[in-house]
Amino acid sequence: MSNWNIAIERALENNVPKVDSILEKYPYLSQMADEVRSAKLKVIADLDSYVKQTMESVMASGGKAYLARTTDEAQDILKQIIGNGKKIVMAKSNVAHEVDIINTLEKSGNLVSETDLGAYLIQLSGDESSHIVFPSLHMTREDIGRMLHEELGLQFSDKSSTEEIVATVRQLLRKKYMEADIGISGANSISADTGSVVLVENEGNIRIDTVLPPVHIIITGIDKIVPTLTDAMKEAMVQSAYAGLYPPTYVNITSGPSSTADIELKRVTPATGPKEVHVILLDNGRTEASRDETMKEALLCIKCGRCYFSCPVYRVMGKDWGKQPYGGPTGAMWTAIVNKDYATAEYCTHSGGCREVCPVRINIPKVLEYIKWVGIGKMINDKH
Amino acid sequence: MSGENKGSQERSGRLLFQQLETIRGVMMDSLLKNYVPFPIDRSLCSAWTNTLRKGGETVIYTSFMYQLSSIFRAYEKHLSTFTRMGGSTKLASLGKFFIKPDKDDLRRGYRILSNISDLLSKSGIDHGYLYDDEPYSGGLLLELGMLDEFWEYGEMVLKIMKDHGVKRVITVDPHTTNAMNRLKEHFAGDIEVDNYLTLIQNYSGDGKFVFHDPCLYSRYNTIGNRIREIAGTAGFELIENRMVTSRDLGTCCGGPLGPVNMELSDSIAKYRAQKLLSVSQNVMVACPLCYQNLKPYVSNMKDVAEVIA
Repeated sequence: MSNWNIAIERALENNVPKVDSILEKYPYLSQMADEVRSAKLKVIADLDSYVKQTMESVMASGGKAYLARTTDEAQDILKQIIGNGKKIVMAKSNVAHEVDIINTLEKSGNLVSETDLGAYLIQLSGDESSHIVFPSLHMTREDIGRMLHEELGLQFSDKSSTEEIVATVRQLLRKKYMEADIGISGANSISADTGSVVLVENEGNIRIDTVLPPVHIIITGIDKIVPTLTDAMKEAMVQSAYAGLYPPTYVNITSGPSSTADIELKRVTPATGPKEVHVILLDNGRTEASRDETMKEALLCIKCGRCYFSCPVYRVMGKDWGKQPYGGPTGAMWTAIVNKDYATAEYCTHSGGCREVCPVRINIPKVLEYIKWVGIGKMINDKH
Repeated sequence: MSGENKGSQERSGRLLFQQLETIRGVMMDSLLKNYVPFPIDRSLCSAWTNTLRKGGETVIYTSFMYQLSSIFRAYEKHLSTFTRMGGSTKLASLGKFFIKPDKDDLRRGYRILSNISDLLSKSGIDHGYLYDDEPYSGGLLLELGMLDEFWEYGEMVLKIMKDHGVKRVITVDPHTTNAMNRLKEHFAGDIEVDNYLTLIQNYSGDGKFVFHDPCLYSRYNTIGNRIREIAGTAGFELIENRMVTSRDLGTCCGGPLGPVNMELSDSIAKYRAQKLLSVSQNVMVACPLCYQNLKPYVSNMKDVAEVIA
């Protein structure tokens, strides 16, 4: 059995019963998922207006808002805000990887460290992520022990337990937070009415990344916009449940920089937390997708990553299928949106399990069939 | 994504589309001229019966799937070679000389089709057959995303049915069932499409199996449930396992990937076979392509139409 086979089997054995029991124990979650679908459809139908409203709300709460139409524009905005010589802690963000954030900032003379355990392991190993929620899923605990020994000289071996590894990495990461000038995160959702960013997590790294450094930068896709803060909370709840992590240990809401109204009830900013909050909204193909009756379904994805486990292609190919961070069935849709890559969808076998498990009922095989058709059409056009 | 990776992905994407262009070329040429996806001997496809009446309002529609599943696989296996040799012209001219159906598979396909026809008759379903006038459904075009070609060719399929006075087709495999349902939906056609498993009433069978659900029966249709009902009344047992046979975790055999990447298709088949064999050594399938794909890894395998009679 290859390492990947061992890793995916362990993941399935741990994740499937967990999600099954969560959905059985908390039956309101599937109704909540339907509500998230409706809320997101509303935004997709009028994306420009919701982007505008979200940016106004971010600014009204004291944050700065930016719209990046392309990954190049996003990189320029980041470089402008950050400059050079900064120590940066990152909470895992797929959109951040979409804009190649670590390379961009390191080339500008900054030191960037991932703080999500899985993302940190990926950064250390120089490998690609293998799952949208669990990026180091392809690494067994034995691989991780060996890698940490080789990369950092830590006294780990392939016999080290998961608990030992986590405890040691915890110490390493806590030092990085204390020294950080800037924290960067993504968003599980962002509400148009309040400009609030909702982030759900379990490790505690997001909470520290987004509160301890004096500057917090959020980079997220415009597909993460929902009409209200209630919708945003629901999206985060549903995401964590269908990823098998419910109830989540932490849910964070960020609406502008830190503030206080403790003196005469006059709200002033900053208080103890960040002095600056910057929200970068990335388009990169999303608006175009929202105008396409079939492709717009892909924008509903809440990135829970459940579809990966029902897909035979992912189970066999792992991270070799698609362009990371967008792998698996949802990634085959997303790489078409953001990379204009239509070949990845050709590997879909229309097995259909992805559609069965999708909390927001995206007909993924139908979208992938459409992407295949677009790819074939381009192939014929290029030939003539 | 690094520039190097991006370049490599783009190159493999270009190669993949070149291969698909070869498939598209040879299939459309063959379909538009002869209503078959690859150059094949048509008489081999209709030789399973000589007793059914020709045509009629209700016909059994084989779409060559049980007869030629081994040929489908063989063509797919050689596609990358033909692409390198010069594409669709080579495949069309050379393929028919050395790609022949496996004789045992052919005989097995004949037995299955005869049994299905008998099961229909026993259930009082009067049916004919189009013999050498039967067209291939075009399912492969649909599954490769060649939708324009599928609709173009599908219109011809529906016309043949209409010209022969066919009002109802009885399909015998998941790919044809799906293709015909999609054509019916797209063209708002008035042709009735029924799968034989939904029609048969008198049958019996025995044994204990793990069932490999065809994707197009279980996750695109309700025929997967119907097969479980049939098991209950026929007297054979299907062993269920949450991780292997459930609707959301049971997976494809990899068959549809054959034309895209044979090696990957085979790896998925091997993976699926291991999962099935972890539940039982006796595997039941309901699709000729699943059978072909899983065959190298599963010794004791039967189609549902070999279990019931």
